[in-house]
Amino acid sequence: MLTLTKLRYLLLGNEAIAFGALSSGVYVAAGYPGTPSSDIIETLMKYGKDRYVEWSTNEKVAFETALGAAMMGARAMATMKHVGVNVIADALMSSSYSGVEGALVIVSADDPSMWSSQSEQDNRYYGLMALIPVLEPYDPQSAYDLTIKAFELSDSIKHPVMLRTTTRISHSRGPVELLPPKEPVNGKLIKNPQKYVLVPENARRNRVEQLKRWERIQEEVEKLNAVEEGDDKVVILASGLAYAYVKEIIEDMNLNPTVVRISTPVPIPKKTILNVVSNANKVLIVEELEPVVEMQVKELLYDNNIHVELHGKDYVSRIGELTLERVRSAVGKLYDIPITEPQVISVNPSPRPPALCAGCPHRSSFIDLKRGLALASLSNTFFSGDIGCYTLGVLPPFNEQDSALEMGSSLGVINGVYRATGQIPVAIIGDSTFFHAGLPALANAVYHNLPAIILVLDNRSTAMTGQQPSPSKEIDIAKVAEGLGVEFVKTFDPFDMKNAIKIISEAANWVKQNKKPAVIIAKRACAIDVLETLKGKELPVAEVDENKCTGCSICYDYFTCPAIIPLNNKKAKIDPLQCIGCGACVSVCPYNAISIKGKPPEGWEEAWLS
Amino acid sequence: MVKLNILLAGVGGQGIVTMGRMIAEAAINEGVKALIAETHGLSQRNGAVNVHVRMGDVYAPLIEKGSADYLVALEATEALRNLYYANPQRTIIVLNNYTLRPALSKAKEMNMSEILEKLSAFRVYVFNANDIAIKAGNPKASNAALIGFLWSIGAFKDLIEHEESFYKALRLESNIKAFKMALEEAKQLL
Repeated sequence: MLTLTKLRYLLLGNEAIAFGALSSGVYVAAGYPGTPSSDIIETLMKYGKDRYVEWSTNEKVAFETALGAAMMGARAMATMKHVGVNVIADALMSSSYSGVEGALVIVSADDPSMWSSQSEQDNRYYGLMALIPVLEPYDPQSAYDLTIKAFELSDSIKHPVMLRTTTRISHSRGPVELLPPKEPVNGKLIKNPQKYVLVPENARRNRVEQLKRWERIQEEVEKLNAVEEGDDKVVILASGLAYAYVKEIIEDMNLNPTVVRISTPVPIPKKTILNVVSNANKVLIVEELEPVVEMQVKELLYDNNIHVELHGKDYVSRIGELTLERVRSAVGKLYDIPITEPQVISVNPSPRPPALCAGCPHRSSFIDLKRGLALASLSNTFFSGDIGCYTLGVLPPFNEQDSALEMGSSLGVINGVYRATGQIPVAIIGDSTFFHAGLPALANAVYHNLPAIILVLDNRSTAMTGQQPSPSKEIDIAKVAEGLGVEFVKTFDPFDMKNAIKIISEAANWVKQNKKPAVIIAKRACAIDVLETLKGKELPVAEVDENKCTGCSICYDYFTCPAIIPLNNKKAKIDPLQCIGCGACVSVCPYNAISIKGKPPEGWEEAWLS
Repeated sequence: MVKLNILLAGVGGQGIVTMGRMIAEAAINEGVKALIAETHGLSQRNGAVNVHVRMGDVYAPLIEKGSADYLVALEATEALRNLYYANPQRTIIVLNNYTLRPALSKAKEMNMSEILEKLSAFRVYVFNANDIAIKAGNPKASNAALIGFLWSIGAFKDLIEHEESFYKALRLESNIKAFKMALEEAKQLL
């Protein structure tokens, strides 16, 4: 059995990456929260007090922060989820042309199976497109080790390096052996416009230099991959996490192929691979999602006139994450061993999607919005949604997200919706998303007189990814909107339903009349943050008066607070373990049957409303 | 090769991620390799959550289809949602005696006897972990109580030998209390 001999820590892959950066002397690190990447910056903030670490307003700013620091000779890192790399794509391409002075590592946390994402794009492709090497770990320990290798590689070639992790690396926990942190490597003022000003003359010279660096990178990556020798007639190439699945399956099936553990899917270690496939009769490439390694291997075999039976995406689906059963099936096919799948029993209980928390201000905002629009006769509208906890507004009873495509999409999409239909649309965007990608589209809405209602849900937090701070705590969204020239700007408390409905309907009527954008801001803190602020204090709790409750079901079916539970007689009951006494349900009950018991603790109002 | 696969299932907010970490820390305390695949992000908000705990000679983070040795549900309905990982010949199912209605409009929920009926092909234990947690002075300690129950039915045999390895991993006094009370409770049940 595998026993652990040295002192090891039980770490998440993301924590291991953060410690790897500290052991590499990272000095500047920046990121934007996004599952499954967020824990990296959080860990650096906790353990890297002697470094500069920030949550930036978006991934592009985070990447440019790291790039600027690396241009000055520092060791720098930017972290983001896979789709965040789309936001940095412009800067990423340029950084590959310019190169750096210090070291620049980009962490792309991909999400095969889309556990918390809109796509499962495979960011190894970015490496091929930008000519940036991509390193891919297979467990938390290798995430730590490869982070150190990524910094070393970037520093030696003076070129950006991408560390690509996935949900099952980032959010898997395993034993990790750590080296002590290294002194941070900071920068000094370096001016080199011939390298960093990408006017055509410089860019053309950089392009030649970029390809020279790429050749050196192809040499360097040979050292980063490992061959586990076995039967030389059967070769399995396993990229990143695929190695963990392959290793377990071949041990379990008692097979002994030669296994190449690929840590650099871009570029592939050509010499290493040529060496093992030259003698082979059969080759299987196991990789998650896209055939990134497979395409490169096929090119390599063609160029070297090697004909060998090769399998990849014909045996391993490109949809969704890898599993042991999928790898077992592929290996079974490779060896012509029939696999009998275990019989499992399937039961489908009612779905349990995530729900807005007890005390979540978004729930009230969605109810207010519906009623306010009805009052202004604008119920038939397009709800252009966005990325955040409030995307859950797509679910019944709200049904107030008709689209939610990517960060900031709500504000851009409404322009097209209005231009195509002439109908006044509603954009719903959170505070952090507003600063991330909402600003240019809001400027455009003012610039082009877009008749639209823009509802900003300001819960003072980047909540969905774990309550990271939001710029809204420092920058007043109402002032931003006014500064951009929005003429109708009003803020309301979503729990004050009467006033909220009035302001929403006012905004709708103003837009109808003036044919310009109106910004309304629902301001109340994320309930989880409030609980954190008031930790240890006794909270009030809601109570249902059984005599007044008629069992009309509005509170649990049309408000759907998880703390309100229906009884067998249809009357409502409050679950005291879940209720936080926020009081949002009080005004929802048409029979005044809900009241709040107990006094709010000191600091209650400030926690919710400041 | 010694391997142990435990699939933990429940509802976001119940402490499933913490439960996985406590079990894995106990393994690490004994020098045994452990891997856990956690669910983070939005599903932690009252959504269905599962955590894969694997220990021994393991490399991959996820449990193979039909290969769980134990399926432990902190909310009983969630056992049904994760039956993909279970197999009547191999898997022992442990249910917390607790169901929670999904926070959805007009949601339907199953009661314990309906759930048990669906699981009739399996060996199932039903355990009142919530009661123990409340008695131990920490309503969130149901996870620790269930770890105690797993220990008492020998779930970790050949891997974790010392009860003390759990104490360090459980961290809080109330968790340790719930763990010990679960051992007593299990004696009467088994």
